[in-house]
Amino acid sequence: MSFLAPMAFAFAAAIPVVVLFYLLKRKRVVKLVSSTLLWQKFLAESQASAPFQKLRHNWLLVLQLLLLILVILALARPFFAGEIKGGRLLVAILDASASMQSTDEAPTRFEKARREALALVDNLTDTDQMVVLLAGGNTEVKQSPTSSKAALRRALQTALPSDSPTRLTEALKLAQPLVRDRVGGEIHLFSDGAVSGLEEFEFEGLNVVFHRVGQRAENAGIVTLDVRSNPEDPTRRALFTSVFNASSNVVRTELELLLDGQLVEARPVELPPRETLPEVFFAGQTNDGVFTVRLANPDDLAADNEASIVSLLPQPARVLLVSRGNRFLERALAAVPSAEVTVVTDLAEAAADFDITVLDDVLPTAWPSNNVLAIRSAPTNWVEITGRTEAPAIVDWRTTHPLLRFVTFDNVQISEALTVVPPGWATPIVEAPGGPLILAGEIGRQRVVWLAFDTLQSTWPLRVSFPIFIANVLDWLNPVTARAAQFLVQAGAPLRLPLDGTVTNAVVRLPNGEERRLTLDPAARELVFGETSHRGVYRIELGNRRFTFCANLLDAPETDTRPRPEVRFGKYAAVAAAEARPANVEIWRWIALAGLAILMFEWWFYHKRTA
Amino acid sequence: MPLLTADLLRRLEQLQLLAQRRARSVSRGERRSRARGQSVEFADHRNYVFGDDLRYLDWNLYGRLDRLFLKLYEEERELPVRIFLDASESMAFGEPVKFDFARQVAAAVGYVALCGFDRVTILPFPENRDEAVARSGLRAVRGRRSAMGMFQNLAQLTARGAADLNAALRRGAIEARQTGLAIVLSDFLDPAGYETGLDALVGRGFQVDVVHILAPEELAPTIYGDLRLVDSETGAQQEVTFGKYRLAAYQRTVQAFCQRLREYCAGRGITYFLASSATPLADLLLKQLRAAEVWR
Repeated sequence: MSFLAPMAFAFAAAIPVVVLFYLLKRKRVVKLVSSTLLWQKFLAESQASAPFQKLRHNWLLVLQLLLLILVILALARPFFAGEIKGGRLLVAILDASASMQSTDEAPTRFEKARREALALVDNLTDTDQMVVLLAGGNTEVKQSPTSSKAALRRALQTALPSDSPTRLTEALKLAQPLVRDRVGGEIHLFSDGAVSGLEEFEFEGLNVVFHRVGQRAENAGIVTLDVRSNPEDPTRRALFTSVFNASSNVVRTELELLLDGQLVEARPVELPPRETLPEVFFAGQTNDGVFTVRLANPDDLAADNEASIVSLLPQPARVLLVSRGNRFLERALAAVPSAEVTVVTDLAEAAADFDITVLDDVLPTAWPSNNVLAIRSAPTNWVEITGRTEAPAIVDWRTTHPLLRFVTFDNVQISEALTVVPPGWATPIVEAPGGPLILAGEIGRQRVVWLAFDTLQSTWPLRVSFPIFIANVLDWLNPVTARAAQFLVQAGAPLRLPLDGTVTNAVVRLPNGEERRLTLDPAARELVFGETSHRGVYRIELGNRRFTFCANLLDAPETDTRPRPEVRFGKYAAVAAAEARPANVEIWRWIALAGLAILMFEWWFYHKRTA
Repeated sequence: MPLLTADLLRRLEQLQLLAQRRARSVSRGERRSRARGQSVEFADHRNYVFGDDLRYLDWNLYGRLDRLFLKLYEEERELPVRIFLDASESMAFGEPVKFDFARQVAAAVGYVALCGFDRVTILPFPENRDEAVARSGLRAVRGRRSAMGMFQNLAQLTARGAADLNAALRRGAIEARQTGLAIVLSDFLDPAGYETGLDALVGRGFQVDVVHILAPEELAPTIYGDLRLVDSETGAQQEVTFGKYRLAAYQRTVQAFCQRLREYCAGRGITYFLASSATPLADLLLKQLRAAEVWR
């Protein structure tokens, strides 16, 4: 035997109280009177002298009848008739993204969503089952399918919001197989609707009920942050940031730049409504440190008012050029200020002393283990060469890729190129009809840029874009840059750190000061730390080495806290915010509560009468 | 404080007790009686028999009829007034005290009777040997000059002990040599009731007047809460939970009690008065008793 609401046994605590009331002796005042004759007659008339008496108007009687009716009503467990009879499976997805911490709902959107979810739990019938999913940076199954309301309430009570962007895809993918092919299967989404990227569910016909929270968008936040060396002054660093104002009013505030907690600059900014304002800071830096950009004005959402980035001092890149002679390439490499170039004709052993190896149309004896720019030369396990094409026309290039910053391929002709099948590890950044011409990507921890053509067999070295491209390549392949990119993660995404196998213990200090001690497997090649749901600076001690990571929100859709009237699934499908739905709403608790109140009133009333 | 004020006494002197029945006393007084005797009120004729006083022959009739008739006149006799005064412990309660009120009524009625040359007997009950002298001085008082002595004796009485109303009335009825006017001053709060006592008075031939005296607290109690009430006479205890919301119910009980007594009296030709001990004395004596034709 089990109980639906074992918490109700707590009411048993009232039994001793009632007994106590009856144990209490009524203290009577002794009073000498002339005669008790009249009183005896009075009592005989007012008390039951016959088994029945005329029903008289007595408020105590009325109260007791009312109490009895209420208790009986409560025991009958009445409910408002609804259409759904039961046996449903509900999947409650609680959006735990950063925007849910907005304080436009009291106390926060997340708390309101939690309250609504708890109300949904209250309305479940005995045969209904429910699943609780918490969709933060990654989706957490807080409760597997159950009809136990206590378990569901516990799961909801322990849910916490994170500083991560909304990632509902994962949660919906989890929920979809549960409710598919099931009558009465419903997905209840408790969110502010700031979600995107749900195109893959466009034609799934998900039965989603969208419980919308959020009232307004009084919020401005930092949406991008990057740090690079200042090309004009190598001793200073350039910080690029942009601030988005989600509200419909102009926001005047100060943007502060801090280096390791010390204020460097405070700049007044005026943010036009619903626009993004880019800002560039220049700051001197003598050691590796953490730059923090902070918006001074308090708004509904605090998570995006601050962002930090690790800035490592630029190190000169040691470049090994393996070439049979290419003056254009050598000149371009030499023009990069932070590069020390060594030229060899063959690579006999792994170039361990160098950060970057440039293979210019050679097949080296030993393959380098560091980052590689490979020009028309590749081992077969990197790319699968299918043939050659004569004079491939460059049709497309990715201008957004860091390698192609300020690079155009207008007026570039190529006489001959290898044709390859695009491999999985790489992104084609320049393409011809026959296949990619430039690939970039990572193989393990090794960054590789691969050119399908010999630069000397093209007009490219004669164009301005060539030295810019080489400078970009050296910047991208420089391990310092790669590390700096590693040290900036979005909240909720895991931190990854390569291990050399000698360290067995790691200590991670979280932004709130807590510490996590990790024991590492000596065979592990990589440390992955997933508890990054909160924005801030994470410090890792790995043996005697110390690393600093920054987790930031930096997500424009999340900063835009406008409550959406609907959740869009691609172009054609959408779910509007739900209004009240028919459901069985049990009200016996309220009736029982009213009964208790009447009982109290009756007790008070009885004493008032006789006092 | 004197029982009655001089002003009230002066007004009482003008009153005269009304007797609905002919006086049966043997003593001469000012009341009309069934006895034939000397007075100015003609009553009847009867045949002359030998030895009758020739002074009462009706010579006019003899002249017309040539037969001798004797003229008879009503004899005026006194009216014995018996006042039954409840001096039990329960009468010592009330604000003002019920017993004081009862004594004042007794004194007033007695004074009116004395002024009318009637014989007054005040019978306090229950027995109290400590007051034997004062009580004996209240028996068979006659004449207006005795009024002051009667007042003094009344003032010496105290209310003590438990009364048996029935027994006191019955004994008072039996030991009376002549019937007359009986006035009962009591609160009638006797668990044994009052029926047999009043029946005995009526059956003996008394004209009975009842003055039912209750204290204001008994009519409308001012005590509330969880009470243990102790009976002053019997010592019996009664637990009562009483609130002001039940006052109306209590008052109905009191009214029912009084109504039963009133109906009982009405059924036996007894005049009934209900008086709170807070009633102004002049109001009761000069208005209510006059309106009920106890006196005029």
